Amino acid sequence: MSTTLLRTIQLNQFSLLGTALIRRRSNNVSVRCCGSQTATTHEAKQTPPSRVAPKNHKSNKLDEILRDYEAVIGIETHVQLSTLTKAFCSCSNNYGSYPNTSICPVCMGLPGALPVLNSKVVEFGVRLGLALNCELSLKSKFDRKQYFYPDLPKGYQISQFDIPIASGGYVDLDIPLEFGGGHRRFGITRVHMEEDAGKSLHSDTEDYSQVDLNRAGVPLLEIVSEPDMRSGVEAAEYACEMQRIARYLGVSNGNMQEGSLRCDVNISIRPIGQAEFGTKVEIKNLNAFSAMSRAIDFEISRQALLYDQGKADQIVTETRLWDEGAQKTVTMRKKEGLADYRYFPEPDLPEVILTQEYVDSIRASLPELPEAKRRRYEAMGLGMQDVLFLANDVSVAEYFDAVIGKGAEVKLAANWIMGDIAAYLKNEKLSINDMKLTTQELAELIAAIKDGTISGKIGKEILFELLAKGGTVKGMIKEKDLVQITDPAEIEKMVIKVVSENQKQLEQYRSGKTKLQGYFAGQVMKMSKGKANPGLLNKILLEKLNAKD
Amino acid sequence: MATRALLAVISASPNRCFISSSRIEIQSSVSSFSSLNFQRHSRKIHRIARSYSSDKDSSVLPPPEVSRLAETARISLTPAEIEECETKIRRVIDWFGQLQQVDVNSVEPAIRADMDGGNLREDSPETFENGDSIRASIPSFEEAYLKVPKILNKE
Repeated sequence: MSTTLLRTIQLNQFSLLGTALIRRRSNNVSVRCCGSQTATTHEAKQTPPSRVAPKNHKSNKLDEILRDYEAVIGIETHVQLSTLTKAFCSCSNNYGSYPNTSICPVCMGLPGALPVLNSKVVEFGVRLGLALNCELSLKSKFDRKQYFYPDLPKGYQISQFDIPIASGGYVDLDIPLEFGGGHRRFGITRVHMEEDAGKSLHSDTEDYSQVDLNRAGVPLLEIVSEPDMRSGVEAAEYACEMQRIARYLGVSNGNMQEGSLRCDVNISIRPIGQAEFGTKVEIKNLNAFSAMSRAIDFEISRQALLYDQGKADQIVTETRLWDEGAQKTVTMRKKEGLADYRYFPEPDLPEVILTQEYVDSIRASLPELPEAKRRRYEAMGLGMQDVLFLANDVSVAEYFDAVIGKGAEVKLAANWIMGDIAAYLKNEKLSINDMKLTTQELAELIAAIKDGTISGKIGKEILFELLAKGGTVKGMIKEKDLVQITDPAEIEKMVIKVVSENQKQLEQYRSGKTKLQGYFAGQVMKMSKGKANPGLLNKILLEKLNAKD
Repeated sequence: MATRALLAVISASPNRCFISSSRIEIQSSVSSFSSLNFQRHSRKIHRIARSYSSDKDSSVLPPPEVSRLAETARISLTPAEIEECETKIRRVIDWFGQLQQVDVNSVEPAIRADMDGGNLREDSPETFENGDSIRASIPSFEEAYLKVPKILNKE
């Protein structure tokens, strides 16, 4: 139990790197994208993440299980698109509107209303399909998926059943270093367009539920992965990458809390060496990437235990819910038989036809995707920790690219952004786009330190000023007279003065207390208002201290 | 009404149901996991189509299971009504079944039999002016929400 708890803390402390669209809180050390901002007490602890390889922190029990069993995991991701209107009508697509105000006969399923496809949905579908390296179906169609539920006005959902817009792709990603690092490639079975249902609010006390149809008809892209993941860590990182890609492409804000990114997990285990897959269980109600990871770990343990006890037949095909409070999966009421959605082609919508020119023009307009960025940063010589951090948030990556584009040295730029700047943004709860420090000024600051105009320490002070109030590096140097003193003669003068004023310390030094060099250095720094070049200072100081007087 | 009933019937029949005019194989009993196993029709469709357009007497489509149909459509029927419906629905199915006798071996398969595609809309919001009357027509509309019986699971 305690190991599970430790694991929970371990998983929750990862950097909550949000997007430019929401308040960004970043931990300047770890790199898990976790859009999860559930305010649990675990998150509040934020113990400094260790850089030790994960095997030491993973529950030993899980390690043991994974020696005997292999987990086979697939993920279905629903991405809510950030279009201005719904999929099949011109109602506003607005999160947080007053309930049942963004409605019309089409999305309410009123008699006689007919759907008309939003062109942006097709565009986003093509973009995402290309980004996931899929083959696009130049001709695809919509189908009706029929079932009854209060939040489904028409009694069917318009979706794509057998001919989705994209299929047969893959995604490349990197496992965070805290979990062992490494590249992975996971297959993507398909991407298809569909519409969302409304939102139901269930009260525990009352015998009724409430439905808000603002969300009914909002466009979704469903991404179905191949069952290629083998652990909670891999699954969570896959989901993170889906979020990253959605945000990079600008097709969705990918917020799990808002429900604009939803993941359902399909998991089975099998004894290692067995060719057949085990019985598959679906897990829903996962609200954070860390919850995904924990739910998978729990489910692996649950199923393995049943196998060990010879009760493998108690594992049935079912949907289970993740109970965040109890930290376990629980059965939903078991369904009798499989759902029969009675798919048939949507008669009210024509084929979706893509021309090769259209596809090519979209392909040409794709931004540099996370994987390409990561490889490029790696090639620039940055370590994986830096690479994963910088490429995680598209705004941060753009900022970084702009700074080095202006000539700043790569490693220095990375350090500033990941260090002091990230810490500042986290404190002030700002996104990097809201920052007053422009890319131009950061580049100049780095250059000024590099060519010796100012010392590193002064540079840091300037940074804080610029972050808080904006302004220019040149201006600040001038205004506060911060130029570094590199003239040996000048430094020598100060050293001599300090030494002569501190005869007692000088004697102590000469009689063996060599640590007092630091004291002298400090005095010279004070005298020079921090502008003396530290290297030169110490060199001259040493000479003077050790010379025969 | 009849077309709607037919569509419901055909989509609900438990076995594969072929509509030769549009060349689509509809697999009716699919689970929510089926999306992981969908068939790539766009490549293979012509082969599949040809396999059933054979000479054997393919005008016999499976009879409707009316009680199951009624359940999936959430329509309650008395046993007498079920019997009555069975005959009528069966006749409609057989009528469509006649289409299977058409030789379509030389016809290119299509995923849809009609429109040329297109008909896309621009992504610009428009408020429906008469939202009030929609809300007013909802029988159980309370405090901005539709009030519905508490149902926990889909299907």
